[in-house]
Amino acid sequence: MGGRIPTRGSRRGQRARGQRARGQRAGGGGQRARGAEGPGAEVAGPAPRGTGAGRARRSRGGGTQEGLGGGELGVEEPATAAVARAMSARNLGTELDLSWISKIQVNQPAVLRRAEQIQARRMVKKEWQAAWLLKAVTFIDLTTLSGDDTSSNVQRLCYKAKYPIREDLLKALNVHDKGLTTAAVCVYPARVCDAVKALKAAGSTIPVASVATGFPAGQTHLKTRLEEIRLAVEDGATEIDVVINRTLVLTGQWEGSDFIKTSTGKETVNATFPVAIVMLRAIRDFFWKTGNKIGFKPAGGIRSAKDSLAWLSLIKEELGDEWLTPELFRIGASTLLSDIERQIYHHVTGRYAAYHDLPMS
Amino acid sequence: MAATHAQRSTREIFTTLEYGPVPESHACALAWLDTQDRHLGHYVNGKWLKPEHRNSVPCRDPITGENLASCPQAQAEDVAAAVEAARTAWENWSGLPGASRAQYLTRLAKMIQKHQRLLWTLESLVTGRAVREVRDRDIPLAQQLLQWHAVQAYTQEETLAGWEPMGVIGLILSPTFSFLEMMWRICPALAVGCTVVVLVPPGSPTPLLLAQLAGELGSFPGILNVINGPASLGPILASQPGVQKVTFCGAVEEGRVLRRTLAGQGAELGLALGAESLLVLTEAADVDSAVEGVVDAAWSDRSAGGLRLLIQESVWDETMRRLQERMARLRGGRGLDGAVDMGARGAAAHDLAQRYVREAQSQGAQVFQAGDVPSVSPFFPPTLVSDLPPASPCTQAEVPWPVVVASPFRTAKEALAVANGTPRGGSASVWSERLGQALELGYGLRVGTVWINAHGLRHPEVPTGGCKESGSSWHGGPDGLYEYLRPSGTPARLPSLSENLNYDTFGLAVPLTLPSGPEIGPSPAAPYGLFIGGRFQAPGARSSRCIQDSKGNLQAYVAEGGAKDIRGAVEAAHQAAPGWVSQPPGARASLLWALASALERRESAFTSALERHGVELKTAKVEVELSARRLRAWGARAQAQGHLLQVAELRGPVLRLREPLGVLAIVCPDEWPLLAFASLLAAALAHGNAVVLVPSGVCPIPALEVCQDMATLLPAGLVNVVTGDRDHLTRCLALHQDVQALWYFGSAQGSQFVEWASAGNLKPVWVNRGRPRAWDQEAQGAGPELGLRAARTKALWLPMGD
Repeated sequence: MGGRIPTRGSRRGQRARGQRARGQRAGGGGQRARGAEGPGAEVAGPAPRGTGAGRARRSRGGGTQEGLGGGELGVEEPATAAVARAMSARNLGTELDLSWISKIQVNQPAVLRRAEQIQARRMVKKEWQAAWLLKAVTFIDLTTLSGDDTSSNVQRLCYKAKYPIREDLLKALNVHDKGLTTAAVCVYPARVCDAVKALKAAGSTIPVASVATGFPAGQTHLKTRLEEIRLAVEDGATEIDVVINRTLVLTGQWEGSDFIKTSTGKETVNATFPVAIVMLRAIRDFFWKTGNKIGFKPAGGIRSAKDSLAWLSLIKEELGDEWLTPELFRIGASTLLSDIERQIYHHVTGRYAAYHDLPMS
Repeated sequence: MAATHAQRSTREIFTTLEYGPVPESHACALAWLDTQDRHLGHYVNGKWLKPEHRNSVPCRDPITGENLASCPQAQAEDVAAAVEAARTAWENWSGLPGASRAQYLTRLAKMIQKHQRLLWTLESLVTGRAVREVRDRDIPLAQQLLQWHAVQAYTQEETLAGWEPMGVIGLILSPTFSFLEMMWRICPALAVGCTVVVLVPPGSPTPLLLAQLAGELGSFPGILNVINGPASLGPILASQPGVQKVTFCGAVEEGRVLRRTLAGQGAELGLALGAESLLVLTEAADVDSAVEGVVDAAWSDRSAGGLRLLIQESVWDETMRRLQERMARLRGGRGLDGAVDMGARGAAAHDLAQRYVREAQSQGAQVFQAGDVPSVSPFFPPTLVSDLPPASPCTQAEVPWPVVVASPFRTAKEALAVANGTPRGGSASVWSERLGQALELGYGLRVGTVWINAHGLRHPEVPTGGCKESGSSWHGGPDGLYEYLRPSGTPARLPSLSENLNYDTFGLAVPLTLPSGPEIGPSPAAPYGLFIGGRFQAPGARSSRCIQDSKGNLQAYVAEGGAKDIRGAVEAAHQAAPGWVSQPPGARASLLWALASALERRESAFTSALERHGVELKTAKVEVELSARRLRAWGARAQAQGHLLQVAELRGPVLRLREPLGVLAIVCPDEWPLLAFASLLAAALAHGNAVVLVPSGVCPIPALEVCQDMATLLPAGLVNVVTGDRDHLTRCLALHQDVQALWYFGSAQGSQFVEWASAGNLKPVWVNRGRPRAWDQEAQGAGPELGLRAARTKALWLPMGD
């Protein structure tokens, strides 16, 4: 089940997470997904409201941070097995145990302090910085989500995904044989065809991800959202970022997921460190409890090379090196790549690049 | 190992994704040392003082061992020169309007800002602490301290009216304390108009640099003087004429020695001892954030000491797992590496930690060490000690940097019992998302600072201090200012040292009471007993002493109290204390008022008792009337205790609480037998203390008469009055480990003994050194000084957010 869950950062003033979960237990006891043992199993109990038929990935969600401008997490809209994202290890799920959620305590001021510290304590310089930046490139979901996207700029994006850093720079760093590309290309469903075609033409196997399901609000009918996913997959998308139905979340109807995302990138507040810390801790706890590794994707607002380094060290600190792989970590970004390339240029040449020194994406 | 990364290629790092070194250049620190020809002297009177023929101690890089500079050790004459400079400067500095001092402090803050890179690299270079901590926290805090205290100086005439600066202040720093500790103390001292002589251990150039920066402002040389020298110069500094107060921060045992040495010396002594902290982690905590709190407390170069960690049993396993996981990600290395969590603290700190860990292991503890830390001395890895048997010596000993000792508890009540069961009372944090529980623990912990769901926050406005063996000196906030002030008109403190006072025998023997001649006149009433536990009791010694009136006639017999009676009285007071503390101030006030009314009702009896001691009728009447008024006044003041601080950078309040000292022993003066007794008693009770009093020796009858009223009005055991030989009773009280504070108004020798004996449990003492006080004057008899001494401050940090 490959739905990744963009959520938005506009959810403030909600009740605390624990209360929400308890509220559900009291009021809607029959709505938890039960009895499914493997991928694609049917929901045994009554399906969650508003989801109709479908296969549920059940399990806990995780923490969330209201008031931080942060997103919601750990919730998945049931989707069909056909849209499963190509993942090496998928969340096989577990019995939904809401006591996991109700027990979670998050202290906001403490998390804010941690977020501040983590950005100041793990700098990398020189060769280390160059290597880390190159690594960051391999986590990027190179994205264009504009209303005026056409096949020409999607084609350019795909080419950039295949050749993210100028070849001579890579040669200077002796990493030109590493096959460096971005992790994926991410476009609207209507542009999936263009992207697949362009990548094929470039002889690349970079996956195409699409933001199906009524992106960015997710406030369309389940039926049309499922259809949207089916069409995107038919067009060749191998990864789908799903916007969850936050109505369900707010009423305490939790579902599981195997990749969680901070936000859609279409809000005023997007990926922030405090929110990410809470989400990463939830991912780690879930891994400790079940052995399943959930992926993480911050999206929106990550524009500078320095930001990307902070995100990498955040993952390294909170989850460890094993999460620093494109299977488990992505950065949703559009302009980040050019700043990284600029920094690499400076590292190699000792000069700051002019605008025309680097190819546009 | 973090500090020993070989040169790696980008290609390799691309695969391993490891951290690399982030070296901070210390070229400017070396350049500054070069300006002194690598030979640091003392900074006195706005100039470098580099006397000849002194033993030099090298200032070394604690990590490489490289010799950075040589520091001549001060001798007595250098100390004298520094104090002389400070004394001369004081004449001018203390008389300046507060606004001028404010301007100077502001200029110094700007000076620090201009030279911050030099300061942080030098400090990190010579102490080995992580430069990140010095740069991002200490330096900004040092500037904030100057700025906040500048504001206090500016408003001094208005807000601190009735107080005047003490004079020359001596500050003694031990090697484990950073320059920030010095800033915390010199800022308030300078702000209120004192001048300072700082004695730093040799090989600490940062304080010298600060003194140079201050000196180069030009206007007031000599207000801040820094000399290098061993701590053994402390007593010499304290005994210089003009030094009014000595503040020491360092280890507990050093403080104890200093307390004994300085008994009877001119200077008052303020102690800030030990560096261990405490963290209470409940099952209602955000465990991940609490683990970060542990990192802040012990493994981020923020604190000089280790941490005692109490974990609720139900989350023990979960916490230990997270803690160990987190420890593995810590990085140690050269302090000047910008990406390490922990630097090193020199060989001494390493050996101390090593010894502690080995001993803990031999006593049966589990030791877990992790982190990317070089395995050579002076680096020491983050260390977690658990399963230490409760009675083992290591459980009692102070936990050194960078060790965390974890032990479980079952309930919040038990956590309080365990936490309060140590002699230390510095700082603690409580981690719980349940507001009620967090506050219960926060109020219940007997420490100077409590953070709720945070650890190690500091701000100039918030007083920081301690209780018990952590010493009772304060820095920051209003309390920090009062440390260097005394009520206007108080005479300067002079030494009252009696060289031949034998501490072993002072007050040891109880004088024998023999019949003192024929009883003339009507037979006196039955002897007064000791007022203990709410009723009159016969003394353990079963003997009485006679009290003569002013004509030499026998007036009455009073009980001859002894060690056992003091023991009983202190026990009774301890039993009554919790009940009295939990009384709201209003209830305390009404009882004090009732006592005042009782005094007024029996005015004639008190007046005649005083008259028999030769007090004129008019004066006697005034004394009774004033006594009642004092009781009422303190009752009324009990209503307004503590206040709220609003700290920048923190969402949420900090409460400045005024908590009772506990069991307070008071040896009342001979003069004003009723008024002094009532004034001291009222102040003590109003602040929630339980009291053991020794009344006037020559005229104890009025105090014993008050006991008649207290027997019916006050809870049993709250006030205990023991008569007898004052020296003997003083000895018993001063040596009693469970008396939390002692006020002594008596002889100079008695004062000296009290100061010496207080080193036992480091109880705060207030002595008069044989000088009578004008108890009938408002300032001396009922001034704010009494209120300040009758309670201790606790800062309770309450960060908020959802």
